[in-house]
Amino acid sequence: MAAATLPAWLALQPAARTLRAFCTAVSPATRSAIPSPRTAGRTSRYERPLRRKALPPRTEKMTVDLDWPSVYPVAAPFKPSAVPLPVRMGYPVKRGVPMAKEGNLELLKIPNFLHLTPVAIKKHCEALKDFCTEWPAALDSDEKCEKHFPIEIDTADYVSAGPSIRNPKARVVTLRVKLSSLNLDDHAKKKLIKLVGERYCKTTDVLTIRTDRCPLKRQNYDYAIYLLTVLYHESWKTEEWEKEKTEADMEEYIWKNSPSEKNILETLLQIKTAEKDLEVNKEELLGTKEVEDYKKCVVSLKNEGDNEETLSQYKESVKKLLKLM
Amino acid sequence: MAAPMCFRGLRLRVLSWSRELPCSWCALHTSAVCTKNRAARVRVGKGDKPVTYEEAHAPHYIAHRKGWLSLHTGNLDGEDHAAERTVEDVFLRKFMLGTFPGCLADQVILKRRANQVEICALVLRQLPAYKFYFLVGCSETLLSHFYKCPVRLHLQTVPSKVVYKYI
Repeated sequence: MAAATLPAWLALQPAARTLRAFCTAVSPATRSAIPSPRTAGRTSRYERPLRRKALPPRTEKMTVDLDWPSVYPVAAPFKPSAVPLPVRMGYPVKRGVPMAKEGNLELLKIPNFLHLTPVAIKKHCEALKDFCTEWPAALDSDEKCEKHFPIEIDTADYVSAGPSIRNPKARVVTLRVKLSSLNLDDHAKKKLIKLVGERYCKTTDVLTIRTDRCPLKRQNYDYAIYLLTVLYHESWKTEEWEKEKTEADMEEYIWKNSPSEKNILETLLQIKTAEKDLEVNKEELLGTKEVEDYKKCVVSLKNEGDNEETLSQYKESVKKLLKLM
Repeated sequence: MAAPMCFRGLRLRVLSWSRELPCSWCALHTSAVCTKNRAARVRVGKGDKPVTYEEAHAPHYIAHRKGWLSLHTGNLDGEDHAAERTVEDVFLRKFMLGTFPGCLADQVILKRRANQVEICALVLRQLPAYKFYFLVGCSETLLSHFYKCPVRLHLQTVPSKVVYKYI
């Protein structure tokens, strides 16, 4: 270690100064094998007798099986006298080679991962194992996780270089829950979907609530949970004015008491009177197989929209109903 | 003043009614604008000027043959406080220039990792080692107290400026 080569009088430094400061400050490059200071320092003739000769670099004493994590225990800049590799970096001059590692600014500029060799990472993992707990054995499939933990919370934390750890983007909280995991009846589900509007996705049946109006993350989380609770309880209540729901407010097409039902009934009655068949019963007419088929096709056409399948089914049912086949 | 009227196809005519008046009028002589770029470039000499790798490459070689001297997250997309980091950088470079007079062999490199600042400098062996130790400890303590975050100084000594080529 570098401590062995420090002169003795440095040990008398005040206790507040840690040894680390000197180890990193004493760049091993001071000990690179370079000609004596006499040729280099012409200006300081007075200090020449005090100046120590540059020592040979540490790489000359390194063995092949040395413990590398002790050379680079943490992220540190590139030290050419501590890295025993003949690394070269730089755009070469014409008919030249890239510059050597001693005094190479480009090698200093780039971040290096000499402190993260596989051996070092294994050691880190071994040290971290004591703080880890096992995954609960009962939660071995996605469905079980969803069943027991239906609500998912997404938060983001941000790290940046600088003295401040605050980032305004970190306060956003997103809450996702599937409506099938909530205890809602038909009316409650429709009311909740109407209340949340765009936050509900029909294809995945997921309600997404994104809160960022409070300054702190935990405040936004509490607000999101509060919103979910309020939505749930409100959707179970039925207000007075909900009785005035018109057909324009309906989310899907309902056959009962619809104009289509009335129209088909009238048509069938007209057919029956034309055939002089006066013994007709409304319920009986509506209960026949052709009318049921027609009802199904109309409902699917209105709810799913126009596509080839629904249109062709509608055509078949009308033909059967009016006995045009 | 008569305004110059410029139509497509017609040459520009500057109508100056001052020509008719019996008074002296001044003309402006101009030459072609010299648009040479002088930023961070060492002009070529007779072949006896030694330059380091950093000096030899102009700014347009950054990200092609040169790296960045200062690394922080402020200039990434969606990140804040780039200006504060730049102001700190300027101060730290001036501070280093003054603390190690005549000893710096090349530009100072500043790296930021979380809230730490790591200053990497290439120094010549002008001063004895104990003076270097003192300066390092002193500047680390001063800067840490000034910026309220850990500041570490890493020196690498070289016998002389590393010459890349002679221009």
